[in-house]
Amino acid sequence: MTRRELLLLSSAGAYLAPALWADEPQNVSYPLRGISHSITPPDLFFVRDHFPPPALSLESWQLTIDGHVQNPYRIGFSDLLELPTKRVEAVLECSGNAANGSAAANGIWEGVPVSFLLEQAGIGHDAAFLALEGYDSGRLLQRSPQLPYAQIVPLQKCLDSSSMVAFKLNDLFLPRRNGFPARALVPGWYAMNSVKWLRRITALGPDDRHSPFYESGMNLVYNRVTQTGGDRAVARLSTLQVKSVVAWPGDKASLPAGRHLVWGFAWTGSGAVNRVSVSVDGGATWNAARLETTPGPFNWVRWSYVWPAGPGEYVVMSRASDSQGNKQPLVRDKSRKDIYELNWCAPLSCTVR
Amino acid sequence: MSSTGVRRFLALCVEIALLAAPAFALPQACPPIPTGGAAEVQSRLSQLERAAQADMEGHRFAEAAGELREAACLAPQDPRILYSLGVAQAASGDFLSARKSFEAVRQREPGNPLPLAMLVRVGFSLGDIDGVKASLRALAAQFPHDGELHAMLAQFLVQNKLLDLALAESLRAQQADPHPSAQASIELAVLENTVGAYDDAIRNALWIGSQAGLPASLRASAAGVAGLSEESAGHPEAAIPRLQEAIQLDPSQENSYLALAFLYEKLQKFGDAVAVLEQARRRFPQSAALLLPLGSNLVRVERYPAAITALRQLLEQAPDDSDAHLRLADAYRKTGNHAGEVQILSDLERRRPDYPSIHVLVASAMLNQEPADYAKVLDELSLAEKSAPSDAQVFYLRAKVFLATGQNEQARLALTRSIELAPMDPSPYYRLGRLLLAMGQPKQAQEAFDRMHVIKSGPPQ
Repeated sequence: MTRRELLLLSSAGAYLAPALWADEPQNVSYPLRGISHSITPPDLFFVRDHFPPPALSLESWQLTIDGHVQNPYRIGFSDLLELPTKRVEAVLECSGNAANGSAAANGIWEGVPVSFLLEQAGIGHDAAFLALEGYDSGRLLQRSPQLPYAQIVPLQKCLDSSSMVAFKLNDLFLPRRNGFPARALVPGWYAMNSVKWLRRITALGPDDRHSPFYESGMNLVYNRVTQTGGDRAVARLSTLQVKSVVAWPGDKASLPAGRHLVWGFAWTGSGAVNRVSVSVDGGATWNAARLETTPGPFNWVRWSYVWPAGPGEYVVMSRASDSQGNKQPLVRDKSRKDIYELNWCAPLSCTVR
Repeated sequence: MSSTGVRRFLALCVEIALLAAPAFALPQACPPIPTGGAAEVQSRLSQLERAAQADMEGHRFAEAAGELREAACLAPQDPRILYSLGVAQAASGDFLSARKSFEAVRQREPGNPLPLAMLVRVGFSLGDIDGVKASLRALAAQFPHDGELHAMLAQFLVQNKLLDLALAESLRAQQADPHPSAQASIELAVLENTVGAYDDAIRNALWIGSQAGLPASLRASAAGVAGLSEESAGHPEAAIPRLQEAIQLDPSQENSYLALAFLYEKLQKFGDAVAVLEQARRRFPQSAALLLPLGSNLVRVERYPAAITALRQLLEQAPDDSDAHLRLADAYRKTGNHAGEVQILSDLERRRPDYPSIHVLVASAMLNQEPADYAKVLDELSLAEKSAPSDAQVFYLRAKVFLATGQNEQARLALTRSIELAPMDPSPYYRLGRLLLAMGQPKQAQEAFDRMHVIKSGPPQ
């Protein structure tokens, strides 16, 4: 290869994936109206960190597979690149994403199925869960010790062929802030399970207590808490709840009278989105939106509705339903006592003159 | 792996890559074995091998494969003959048979990396990337410390644009060899930069750059890669000295000037971009690659005559370059040369009638002329409407023509249509308001002005 080719090669990559640099935990999201089609560009992917992003090198990154397996092993990035891969289009949403929030993104992921990695290790018959651990570490709660970020996901979900150790997003290697060089991807589940900067997969028995998960206090967050009368129920968050958001117009918009294209995205973790409706009168009446992209099991769908808007005050809302019969709720369930799964139909005020 | 083996492998890869021979079906059954004993078998074997060698040298690969197939029947355990058979089969385009032959060699000589390396090549030719990966994994497991082998594989994979796998092999080569060559390190740095591993790329490139004993050209390349990685990592200011260093170390690399100019452009330091491109121009007076960025940045620093010269020169060398047309039209517009603007955009229209919005661009330029030929503008807009019926700009420009020619009702209709198609664009509301005022409809005019203010005063939508 000539030096010219070397430089050309390097410049091609350089200009494709501009990256942001941060040593502090990031909490960033971008207005969804910036997405021109249905795939979120990497630089518009939301970021929710718990701890500072680790500085990882391709040469030193390793992934350990251990726990209840017959042959624990460790692989490097070269090994990962040379294993069979799979691609899946999937949406990631932060479990605390606001009702019309933008902490959600849809990308085409490529990686090695977790099932393949476990097969190589010989998964133990008594394994029931996987602990996914990241290279990032810190104190989750004020009193918790310095521990790596960790989540526990049922083995069955990880054996789904779409669950993977992903190293590419939209055909480019992962940006640093989105888990470079490799992260877990658990499609259809809230994003905290898709552990970034993945370093270890540990197979757990049904009664094992994975210390980074419990001692850090991770078991105390990301739970659905409901209180009905005196009964309080706590359950771990998992599947994405059916949800739609309006990308345009924004809240408190002032529009001239005319025909406007209201548009946004809708997704679910159960089956596929099969309908999106739009209301401009606060939910009194609903109109079918057009699904502009093909709904799939894990991706989001882009929808639009042509609104012939005359002068007046309006409340714009969207509502999605999925193939499993789930409907986006109109309001927040009053029994909920946690801050997650905020999927009700958010009302957006809009003035037309 | 011996250096002879590496050379042979590379030579074969190059040779096979140059071939486009049709697939050749080999006879599956062995011919009768000579009955005269071992001596006769040996004699026939030698004869077949000599014939095969001559056929290979004469690029008669299918014939060579046939002879080696017969030889393999006579000596089925001889890995050397099977390997040669695989090579001949691959060269003749019969990759499936070649794969079988190399797999047979592998079984007989498990300690030899060559059949596996050839399986990588054959897998690639078959488009079987999982097969390529399996062979690479086997090579990694069996020969983890053979840095030369992994570096060679990386090079082959780069040449064939399998950059992920090239990166994997390049990393393996680096890990196997604690003292890698500067060339291997820079290739790794380039791959790391390409995939977004900017920290790694910078570290490797800086290591090369710090080796004073290395040729300046190599250190310049390293500085260039470090600069590009710094820029990609979001540190454009840190990238500038790296790229300046690349130019200083090896001023004969045109790409270093281009990369630095591009960086200045991104930082909106257009004067600096011009300076570096003019420096490059003095060194590469015949280069066409410099002319577009030079012309564009000269327009930005308002040195229009120089910009026009550079862009015209580019169009002499590359008359179909659409960007050059557009930049030149921009320069003409900014110097008030509307005839020049129309002429250059019409030239682009002739060459690229499918260029997006070209008719709108031409019509818009025509409207800038004094006096404008309104009939021609309308003709142009009809063409624009045919190619993009929902383009609001078509109706807005049409309205401008009608306004200029006093056809108020036509103008009102055109502006209304423009608003229907792009209701968030404030310009047609303003024109409509003015028009309605002139038509004696102050109430409707006020409505149009109000709507324009709604758009301008609201939050960004």
